[in-house]
Amino acid sequence: MNRMLALLKALLINSLGISVIRTKARTDKLAYLKLIALGALIIAGLAPTIWLYAKMLIQGYDLLAPIEQQGALLVLGIVLVSTMIFFFGIFYVINYFYFARDAQNVLALPLSGWQVLGARFSLVLVYEYLTQLPFLLPPLIVFGLKSGAPLAYWLYACLGFFLVPLLPLSLATIPTLIIMRFANLGRRKDLFKILGGIIVLILAIGYQLFIQRTGINNMDALLIQNLLTEQNGVIKMISRVFPSAQYLALALISAEKITGLLNMLTFTALSGLALALTWLIGDRLYFKGLVGSSETTARRKVITSSDYSKMSRVAPAWLSYCRKEILLLFRVPTYFMNCVLTNLLVPVFLIIPFLFQPQDEKAIPWAELIAQPGLQTILMAVIVGAVIFLSGSNAVASTSLSREGREFYISKYIPLSYRQQVLAKLLSAYILAISGTILILIGAIIIMPLDLTQIFTIFIVCLTAIAPVTEAGILIDIFRPKLDWDNEQKAVKQNFNVIISILFSILLGGSVIFIVIRWIDSPTMAAAFMITCFSLVALVLYNLLMTKGIEQYRKIEG
Amino acid sequence: MIEIIGVSKSYNRGAVKAVDNVSINIRNGEIFGFLGPNGAGKTTLIKMIAGILNADEGTIKINGMDIKENPLEAKMQFGFVPDDPNIFSRLTGLEYLNFMADVYKVPAATRLGLMQTLLQRFEIAAAAGDLIQSYSHGMKQKIVVIGALLHTPPVWILDEPMTGLDPRSSFDLKKMMREHADAGNTVFFSTHVLDVAEKVCDRLAIINKGRVILSGSMQEIHTQLGAKQSLERLFLEITENE
Repeated sequence: MNRMLALLKALLINSLGISVIRTKARTDKLAYLKLIALGALIIAGLAPTIWLYAKMLIQGYDLLAPIEQQGALLVLGIVLVSTMIFFFGIFYVINYFYFARDAQNVLALPLSGWQVLGARFSLVLVYEYLTQLPFLLPPLIVFGLKSGAPLAYWLYACLGFFLVPLLPLSLATIPTLIIMRFANLGRRKDLFKILGGIIVLILAIGYQLFIQRTGINNMDALLIQNLLTEQNGVIKMISRVFPSAQYLALALISAEKITGLLNMLTFTALSGLALALTWLIGDRLYFKGLVGSSETTARRKVITSSDYSKMSRVAPAWLSYCRKEILLLFRVPTYFMNCVLTNLLVPVFLIIPFLFQPQDEKAIPWAELIAQPGLQTILMAVIVGAVIFLSGSNAVASTSLSREGREFYISKYIPLSYRQQVLAKLLSAYILAISGTILILIGAIIIMPLDLTQIFTIFIVCLTAIAPVTEAGILIDIFRPKLDWDNEQKAVKQNFNVIISILFSILLGGSVIFIVIRWIDSPTMAAAFMITCFSLVALVLYNLLMTKGIEQYRKIEG
Repeated sequence: MIEIIGVSKSYNRGAVKAVDNVSINIRNGEIFGFLGPNGAGKTTLIKMIAGILNADEGTIKINGMDIKENPLEAKMQFGFVPDDPNIFSRLTGLEYLNFMADVYKVPAATRLGLMQTLLQRFEIAAAAGDLIQSYSHGMKQKIVVIGALLHTPPVWILDEPMTGLDPRSSFDLKKMMREHADAGNTVFFSTHVLDVAEKVCDRLAIINKGRVILSGSMQEIHTQLGAKQSLERLFLEITENE
């Protein structure tokens, strides 16, 4: 156990950057203060959202209490967090167990399978606790305070908080352990990561469809009545998604009774069992799967002259740099999933609810809506808004420097001006943003009967709208690039620049669209106004990028 | 020719002086070796020459071009091999070389022939179509060396170039370095391997704690210290006394 804890300590210090923070505190006070300020900023930025969530929970409680279904809040929180942990868990486990750069090194240490697995499992668990904190804590606190819960409730809630991720994380770990052991997919790890990502997304889409089909829409009155009259009926329904969740929910609801204790014991036992099973299986399979996970395939085929000439076409340096950016976005699985796939799949997600609406419901009368200029303007603004949000959140521009990581020094010594490098990055981000735009437009065309002029107008507005968003993304990343990482996930997934970029896109898109919806009726006027606004902002940001941005780029050391 | 004049660099706002007022003049037609214990400041100085780090003070000129004032012209003068060959692992060897050739504006006419010759000379032609991530450490080192030589730069700057190379490739590289210098060009490289330094270098400098403590030709160094001792002994003595 001591050895496992020693390894866990080393992993934690390394991946949470504790020593980095300590060193900064000692040697570079300014950087340390900046770090603290950033932390405070993140909390301050999240606070309104959490407050809104809490308010919703309070209202939900008041609404559900008269029909004695307030426990649904708890189970909803637990199920939501469990589902989230399961999906995140798959990615975390693959990345931290098998594909982390230091994963193989432990094979040379005198440690057994369960010790290493235990340490890595616990590391992922720490990440999961941080992830679930803002989602699970509010319902636990709101329910406890509103119901005037007894001491036992708070004890169970504390224990429950730490137990909740064990089962879903085990459910994510066990299949991965088995697949990695027997399929030896390590040799094709890039493919495995991408396929895994796509499978998770398909599951998510399927789940969305399933919920929609069996959702409240389709329920008849009798079913709803039964659900509501049966005590904690809603709990049972929601917890079908993650059956174990109901034990914790029931334990919390009847904390003062003996049934509460029994439910709590059941939940603890289930979680413990899942954990034990994972560690047992891990002890047998983990190392066997890990050996060879760093191997890659290679053809080692002699290249013919025609291959050479095909592959060595001359291109201008900036274009070659841009091509390299796009190639890496498509080839590095983490980048592909977070930057490219999101960009392509989010539009699909947005369209699905419209395509799979229950047939008996009256469809939205799009033709009638579009016939009215005012509504047409609103529809246009909404489409543009979706495009802006997508290009702000696809993480291409806002991680364009961060993605280079320790290889950034290459950009410093090659004879390509910083201006051209930034323009090449801008171009690659812009191309990706255009692909997302086209998909959203295709979606809009499928759903609504837009004519050619409307499509063309919206497309032009979108082209100007994504310019400031991509420029801002690159500016943000130039001023706070995250170059020191050991795992590609940290460059895109755990990069605060993406959040800043999303906030910027919401602010920019939100304010322009607000003005359009509030004060402009004519679609032509609205388009002209939006094109002018976005072009102006784009121009200002471009100037900023080419002056301050380049100056800052020069200062960054590789 | 590389002129390093009064170059200093410190970290943590001046608390740690990595390179302290270093001046070295590396002439055309010579191989210059740069020696020093781990953490002596070798890589920091090399990175400043290559434009990766900014010097706090001093001037660095490559063939007369100031790396700060005319960075692009200066960068075209040299080929650089970093100490860590882990680069663009998701590109194939050919894609990487092609990228470097584009960036260094290597014309189509010479590009292909040069690529093939170098790939064959370093015996990795068969792997050129594979992803760099499938390469061994030595193969990665080779592809980086080839990438640095594609634009036939007059100045070579190599940070620990022999690390990971097999004996044949190491021998070939040393031979290429000699040929390059003999043709009137400049080779500047850092190494831990004193044997290599002794056999290959025309002149060398030993750096410790950021300062050059000894420089000159092997002969000068020996006469300077009087005794006929080996470079290893000499190195150990002067780095210990510091």
